[in-house]
Amino acid sequence: MNDNNIRRKFEKIIKKNKFENISFRIENKIFYLDGKVSSYNDFLKIGALIVKERNIEGVVNNIEYPNKKKIKKINGIKNKIDKVDVVIIGGGVTGSSIARELSKYKLKVILVEKSSDVACGTTKANNGIIHTGIGEKMGTLKQKLCVKGQQNFKKITDELNVPYKQNGMMIITTKDTLVKIKVPSFIKNFFSKRIIPIIVLQRGKKLGIPLNIVNKKELIKREQNITKKALVGIYSPTYGITSPYLFTIALVENAIENGLKLMLNTEIIDILTKENKVKSVVTKKGIIETKFVINAAGLYVDEVADMAGAREYTIHPKKGATLIFDKNTCKYLNHSISMLRFPRKEHYKGGGIMTTIDGNIQWGPTILETPDKEDTKVTSEDIEDIFQSYSPLLEKFPKKSVITYFTGLRACTFTEDFIIKASKKIKGFIHVAGIQSPGLTAAPAIAEMVVDILKNEGLKLERKKNFNPHNKKRIVTTNLSNEEKNKLIEKNPQYGEIVCRCELITKGEIINEIHSKIPALNIDAIKRRTRAGMGRCQAGFCLPKIAQIIAQETGIPIEKILKNEEKSYLFIGRAKCLLEDKYDKN
Amino acid sequence: MTKIDVAVIGGGPAGLAAALKASEKADVMLLERDKELGGILPQCIHEGFGNIILKKTLTGPEYAQHYIDKIKDSNIDIKTGTNILEIDANKNIIATNSEEGIININAESIILAMGCREKTRFQILIPGTRPAGIYTAGTAQRLINIDGLMPGNRIVILGSGDVGLIMARRFTLEGGKVEGVYEITSKPGGLTRNVVQCLDDYRIPLYLSHTVTNIIGKKRIEGVTVAKVDKKMKAIKETERFVPCDCLILAVGLTPENELSKQVDIKIDERTKGPIVNEKMETSVSGIFACGNVIHVHDLVDDVTISAEKAGESAAQYGKEKPKITEKIQVVAGDNVEYVVPQIINRRDLDSITLYFRVKKENKDAVVVVLDGNKKIVEKNERIVKPPEMLKVTLSKETLIPIVQNELKVNVWSKNE
Repeated sequence: MNDNNIRRKFEKIIKKNKFENISFRIENKIFYLDGKVSSYNDFLKIGALIVKERNIEGVVNNIEYPNKKKIKKINGIKNKIDKVDVVIIGGGVTGSSIARELSKYKLKVILVEKSSDVACGTTKANNGIIHTGIGEKMGTLKQKLCVKGQQNFKKITDELNVPYKQNGMMIITTKDTLVKIKVPSFIKNFFSKRIIPIIVLQRGKKLGIPLNIVNKKELIKREQNITKKALVGIYSPTYGITSPYLFTIALVENAIENGLKLMLNTEIIDILTKENKVKSVVTKKGIIETKFVINAAGLYVDEVADMAGAREYTIHPKKGATLIFDKNTCKYLNHSISMLRFPRKEHYKGGGIMTTIDGNIQWGPTILETPDKEDTKVTSEDIEDIFQSYSPLLEKFPKKSVITYFTGLRACTFTEDFIIKASKKIKGFIHVAGIQSPGLTAAPAIAEMVVDILKNEGLKLERKKNFNPHNKKRIVTTNLSNEEKNKLIEKNPQYGEIVCRCELITKGEIINEIHSKIPALNIDAIKRRTRAGMGRCQAGFCLPKIAQIIAQETGIPIEKILKNEEKSYLFIGRAKCLLEDKYDKN
Repeated sequence: MTKIDVAVIGGGPAGLAAALKASEKADVMLLERDKELGGILPQCIHEGFGNIILKKTLTGPEYAQHYIDKIKDSNIDIKTGTNILEIDANKNIIATNSEEGIININAESIILAMGCREKTRFQILIPGTRPAGIYTAGTAQRLINIDGLMPGNRIVILGSGDVGLIMARRFTLEGGKVEGVYEITSKPGGLTRNVVQCLDDYRIPLYLSHTVTNIIGKKRIEGVTVAKVDKKMKAIKETERFVPCDCLILAVGLTPENELSKQVDIKIDERTKGPIVNEKMETSVSGIFACGNVIHVHDLVDDVTISAEKAGESAAQYGKEKPKITEKIQVVAGDNVEYVVPQIINRRDLDSITLYFRVKKENKDAVVVVLDGNKKIVEKNERIVKPPEMLKVTLSKETLIPIVQNELKVNVWSKNE
């Protein structure tokens, strides 16, 4: 379909839907929308109208809706702080994978991240599943990179000494798989039991993903607690699990080992260009001169691209809430379980009941549109939704053993596929946008693709001879035998001092992270690296102790220790501080 | 491998009293994960401890010190800063500390005295964000009283359990402003004396049948929404209002800490969340005893001490005489009774025994009736019974010997019925 046809078609659609005041243009296969609507839902609806057309590579949706957040522009930064070959924007798993890949070459690279740590945005709330690609839409870029990334995951996690397990996934159909379809139940059950598995198996064959059918008898043998409504299982042995934040931290630590410069707490405020070429990146801390910028800003890719005048997409975030259960619930299941439901919500694999790499059980994630890129609250509706979706799968599961919950935001574009390419408008600006599930799995493959793009764009790439692919293994005392622990404690008694009683994390492990390549200087940074505070008491007992250890090791006054970001102070001051204030006033 | 008669796990009030009592007749090792003995007591600087057994009103640290002094004079092997990694039914213990590394212990008997832990906002599913400034009441108490750190300035307290009430007063004395104590049930969760002394005396409002429905704030908490609840404890949307605060304190209940008990498959009472014990405080695993808040959450430390002394005495005795196989009498919760401890009485060597229990609902002019089948064996009048206040009834040896049934039922009836 050529542009004129698309135009005509779109005009028809907006007329039919009675949208007024909408204007649009098509430029370089990008669809630009302007105008005004009365709700965010209409904004979403219009944004998605045209994406099924093959000729459209991106939708920039500038339509106004009530209470739309305005982006404030900061000016006045003049000081030049560095000059490098490449600036990577965003320290999520995508930017971090690219940073590590680029650290193999003789280049000067800076990774800038606005938060106080890497893996603090979308990555933090990822469920850690390493997908096979079977659940992705055929022919998409995300499917291709997922399959490729998955094949590399073992190697890369071995190199980086990050926990990774191929624990498989039991995909099931039940009597409720087609519940929303109005045909007699014997037909539904026949389809769910006989036809769907064959379709899934054929897909697997096409993609080279091993799958095997598990009949109901065998399924019940392998999962004693599974619902009686289950019809058949499709076992996918190559599904894996990792820790999304440990993986990301390890990528950056390794990149630093190989020469990367990491700048945390560094927000981007502008990208300067000259004659449609990238010139420099303006951060709150100063200006970095560079010819190449990689936009891996996750939820903020559209705003960053706007700064460079290279916008080809709009992000509409989708929330995903997850419940985490006590480790003692792991006896209720042997595999991660995902149930097929048709029709599917669009661009959603349905979540499931999954184990985490650390042995907790997680339920979720949900999916829900939100206009707010910082909307990480969990609502009672989210919790209700999770219980309703997953408790029918395992009726006996102790639902009351929830120890925490959280919400992550997916950085979705209207085209819903990864957008990884060089900007046609601004030379040196590389888009890495729309990275939603299976972004974690695909990250290594995304990084390789970005390096190829840089090469095509004229960046000179020369391999380092002394590249060290390995990270030192983290000491995790709970993984050691008693003899090994004994030896370790003899050398360093701090490994005998347990700080987090739920997860059995020692003072030695915490101190290691305070002095690591990316120093962990707040409670949550320590938590992500060591698991201290991730157990059933949720840091009730260990938080005061961890704050004290950070204070002792760094000299930061204890009342200044933060939970995570700036202003997330734990204490308002020393005891009596409020009384002193009162006396002063008198 | 260290051999010992009695290993006591936990050096709080229960562990201290159990170890001390056991040490009268046996060699005892006391294992405590903190660096100091006393458990939660050192941070409980308010008074109200010891009225029953020491006949004087002490503060928490004073009450603890009373036992710590005696422990230090005894020949009990004290290991502080020592965490238990594993225990098994053969009474093998693997522990760790920084001086000795991994410690292997084999005990004749074990006393579980790990206490309890606080419920978090997640266990009660409060929606919202996850900012800094949300603490359980016990953590806040530790921060102020031990670490000398102030958790907040404008405080909302959810739950009117004793720790919550005491912290309302504590924050006020520190110059903080307590916006209110919100309680989801229609009655206060703590002892009446605490409602009077901690809230009324300081004019801190108590909102009954209210709960926190949302937590707001990205980095530091900025406020909560609260709402009235209906009879099913569901929030009534129309009554929701915003309360600004920089600190949310949760006093929403305690859970007996039984992770170690579960390692050895000790039978747990669904209602108490603690091990099922007999009159000797022995759990379902022979030679493993339990006492204090591990069994059920107590309101008074004196009762913890009493249960611990019983456990200490029994554990020291364990193995010294062959256990006779005897009939068991089950003690069950009857009308308006939430639970009863101990849950089992052995018929052998029947002695006088005190049953501890809680009611489900408040009742004025009540009568406690213990039934052997249809026969009333004990009746005791209570002017008022409330769920937060633990009740006791003592059965003398004389009343126990003629029992016919293998089940005793404890009921709390209204006199008017």
